[in-house]
Amino acid sequence: MNCTELRDHYDLYALGLAEEPERSEIREHLNRGCDVCAAGVRNSVELAALLGATAPPAAPSPRLRRRILASTGYEQRHFGWLVLAAAATILAGFAAVYFSGRENQYAQEAAALREQLRRQTIDLTRLNEAFAILSGPETTVTTFGAGPAPPKGKVFVSARQGVLLIASNLPPAPAGKLYEMWVIPKKGSPAPAGLFQSQADGTAMHIQPGAVDVAETGAVAVTLENEAGAPQPTSTPLIVAPLAR
Amino acid sequence: MTLLPFLLALRVAEGDGDLVLRLQRRDPQALADLYDHYGRLVFSLILRVVRDAGIAEDLVQETFLRVWNRVQGFEAGKGSIGPWLLAVARNRAIDYLRSAGGRERNAMDLEETTHPALTSDMEQDLLNSDRIRRVKAAMDKLSPNQRQAIELAYFEGLSQSEMAERMGQPLGTVKTWVRTALRSLREDLGTAVPA
Repeated sequence: MNCTELRDHYDLYALGLAEEPERSEIREHLNRGCDVCAAGVRNSVELAALLGATAPPAAPSPRLRRRILASTGYEQRHFGWLVLAAAATILAGFAAVYFSGRENQYAQEAAALREQLRRQTIDLTRLNEAFAILSGPETTVTTFGAGPAPPKGKVFVSARQGVLLIASNLPPAPAGKLYEMWVIPKKGSPAPAGLFQSQADGTAMHIQPGAVDVAETGAVAVTLENEAGAPQPTSTPLIVAPLAR
Repeated sequence: MTLLPFLLALRVAEGDGDLVLRLQRRDPQALADLYDHYGRLVFSLILRVVRDAGIAEDLVQETFLRVWNRVQGFEAGKGSIGPWLLAVARNRAIDYLRSAGGRERNAMDLEETTHPALTSDMEQDLLNSDRIRRVKAAMDKLSPNQRQAIELAYFEGLSQSEMAERMGQPLGTVKTWVRTALRSLREDLGTAVPA
């Protein structure tokens, strides 16, 4: 079908009401970058957005804002830092006046709590990034390590969000060494995709955020490198995961 | 009170491009700003769909997290983020409604209408209070059947067959109401589908 024939169906498409074959035809036009249909559907999405804004006004509870920000890890850090900083200041003041000699202890405790919060924030951010890759509709999944001994796991590749590697049976890299992930194009040299260390139990999760040209990527690999990292692999890969198609 | 969400939406539209850039840089304050400006609008839309404040808040949270995690695909400077946010919110709410009601997922996968690229190039102040007043007035001018059909489609995610069943009317009649209503809305809003 041509764009003129599809024109009357853009609004239905934006509302989720388009029927076959028009729905598939519009999707196909959009997928192949048809400017006419893209402009038409955008116009219809505008109309749909305006319909959404006609809902009767209502107010969420004040807690929702904090919940949302905390779920990204940032509000927790922001709020926690403020509270901890205030608590640390008050405690230090009391300690200075009433418990001279204890201020160091309080300061250390406050510092330890801040460090704990910092780590939790990093973990939450990583989990958010991992979730974004895992939940991507276009994410490809590749399993590696079929035998009993070698590292086993999965590689998830999202064209928009990046690469997520989850492995087991990967002993911690020795002192002075780290694992380095590589995104290997079908043609050309492997691109470094970050250094990581595995846990004492042999598990590892490594994320390389950012766009990936999935069509041009042949495999994801992991090598053992010096802790400064290497611009190109210098050892035999411990993991090679050819991308699933 | 009534106009507050719309006025907030108007205010943010002026700086949406900067807001998108800050979200893409993972600036935590940007998410707070996005929520402050669009939170009520998103909550109002989702509440209209699911009609339960607790569930609506969960879905608002999901909506903002989804946008936070996918904002890299949005072209900063090429339009307001509000319409995309509302499209994601509607999608989440209708998905919930369908799963809670044991209904199959819509024959039309709403996911494909929430791609950030489909909301680029929109007017920065699309969701301004004047436009929203006009669309409300245009909705009020529809016949009760036409208005109900549009609301069942938008706020409940019903297909035209499902609407026909719900309204106890022949499918052809419902299709006519939908098309007439959309044409009438476009005429009243002064927007035509691009040729």
